[in-house]
Amino acid sequence: MSTAVSLTGGRGEWLRRASGVARYVLTCWKLNLAAAMEYRLSFFMLAGMMFVNNAIWLVFWAVFFHRFPAVNGWELRDVMLLWGISAGGFGWANVLFGNFTRIASIVANGELDVFLTQPKPLLINVLVSGMSLTAIGDFLFGVVIYALVGEHTLIGAAKYALGLAISGLLFLFVTLAAGTLAFFFGHAEGVALQLFNALVSFSTYPADIFKGTVRIVLFTVLPAGFISYAPIGLLRRFDASFVWFAAAAVAAFGLLAVFLFHAGLRRYTSGNRIAMRG
Amino acid sequence: MMTALAKWHKYRAVGVISVKQQLKYRVDFLMRALMLLFLMFIFIHLWSAAYASGGARAIEGFTLRQIIWYLVFAEAVTMACPWLCVRIENEVKQGEIAVRLIRPVSYAGFHYMTYMGEAALRFVVQLAAGSLIAWACVGPPAFGRGWAGFIALLPGAVTLMFLLNLSVALLAFWIEETRGLEFVLQKLNFTAGGMLLPLELMPDRLERICSWLPFRAVLYFPARMGTAFDGGMFRVFLLAQWGWIAALALVCMFIYRRGVRKLNVNGG
Repeated sequence: MSTAVSLTGGRGEWLRRASGVARYVLTCWKLNLAAAMEYRLSFFMLAGMMFVNNAIWLVFWAVFFHRFPAVNGWELRDVMLLWGISAGGFGWANVLFGNFTRIASIVANGELDVFLTQPKPLLINVLVSGMSLTAIGDFLFGVVIYALVGEHTLIGAAKYALGLAISGLLFLFVTLAAGTLAFFFGHAEGVALQLFNALVSFSTYPADIFKGTVRIVLFTVLPAGFISYAPIGLLRRFDASFVWFAAAAVAAFGLLAVFLFHAGLRRYTSGNRIAMRG
Repeated sequence: MMTALAKWHKYRAVGVISVKQQLKYRVDFLMRALMLLFLMFIFIHLWSAAYASGGARAIEGFTLRQIIWYLVFAEAVTMACPWLCVRIENEVKQGEIAVRLIRPVSYAGFHYMTYMGEAALRFVVQLAAGSLIAWACVGPPAFGRGWAGFIALLPGAVTLMFLLNLSVALLAFWIEETRGLEFVLQKLNFTAGGMLLPLELMPDRLERICSWLPFRAVLYFPARMGTAFDGGMFRVFLLAQWGWIAALALVCMFIYRRGVRKLNVNGG
């Protein structure tokens, strides 16, 4: 009886803490947005230009497919959806968890100190404390691409949303895992940036142009293949095994990133940096 | 005469310091070279798949080998050019420009020599990295006089890239953020400038539009001459390139004069 009471009490405590964290995260997002809106012109310029930037890439692809109507089974619509999923996924992850691309420099420059003093879960606190303005343009671009060439049914929308979720979480976890290298090797910003660039580059080209070993790498070590194959394996025809493997990759990289972050944190030494969070 | 010579020595010194500064950032060089290797690796796969699907040995006169070397030249120039907008934007935001403006060196001239110094060194590294992967995948280049054409058009290409970037960067005198515009400018160079594919491969109407824009003089001209040299075309390209340089220099001068009058700086 007493065990049951304590379990109930434990669950209640856990729920109370989880809802506290959720409220904190929501407040951070609101403040990030409010801070961005302080410089309204910059906000619209950056987000708008990123949208245009992505659209210009599609001009290249339109020209390319005008010359080669189908390449290894891929057509212009598939590449447009690939960009929709890739840019859209990267967009939402970078809007909500904008510091994930900065983990290496945050650790190397001792900026973690200020977060360590706050009574909030450290990793979530660090991630939600930044917001990328350009990423809003990326996310909107993804939505517009879906509106233009996506499948406008309930199932189609659900598949696209799943694609966005897989893509965003993979960008988040892989980049976070790469950023944690700074705990182990000091200034690892360069390596982390290269891994991030490689992930972005490989996830914006059709997966089927790669064969053999490269393809294996793209579905394991550098899981860009789970993003760049989504227009075929998820949107064009629902391939259950692809989706399950993609979900497993998301879970595996999520666990790896969290594990590396906490293992690295034990090695973190303060930079005695005095800073304030505005 | 002496004044001109003294001025030249002053600007040359800025360029030399820029090169020396760059030599200290070896890791940065390595990282940029790695990035070019990634991109070339992807392009080689993409174009190999495209040529295989098309079945033709040459498209608009370009063989697969020529296309890959074209991309190496265009990418090497692109990745050699530093980001200028961030630099000028930070100078304006942090007030550093106040110190820069009172120096006895032209503001644009200082940035031009710094830019050229950085680009020169980076270009050598980028070309070496690109050549490495292209040579291994599609074989050595055999372009005869194309190398001379490429080298002759190179200084004008980097100068024009600088002027295009400067025309956007100087907008920092009016607006907070210029990075977004720089991204767009970069992508215009990628597409209308012919970095991602030679302009001959574009639909006719688009090719005609691109021929009226300055972007093709930055990447397409040198890369096209490097891979498929044509004496008559070379003279036209050279003339057009320096024509655009003159026009954009005037535009930049106009923007600078308007902007610097409007600038209020506190700090530096």
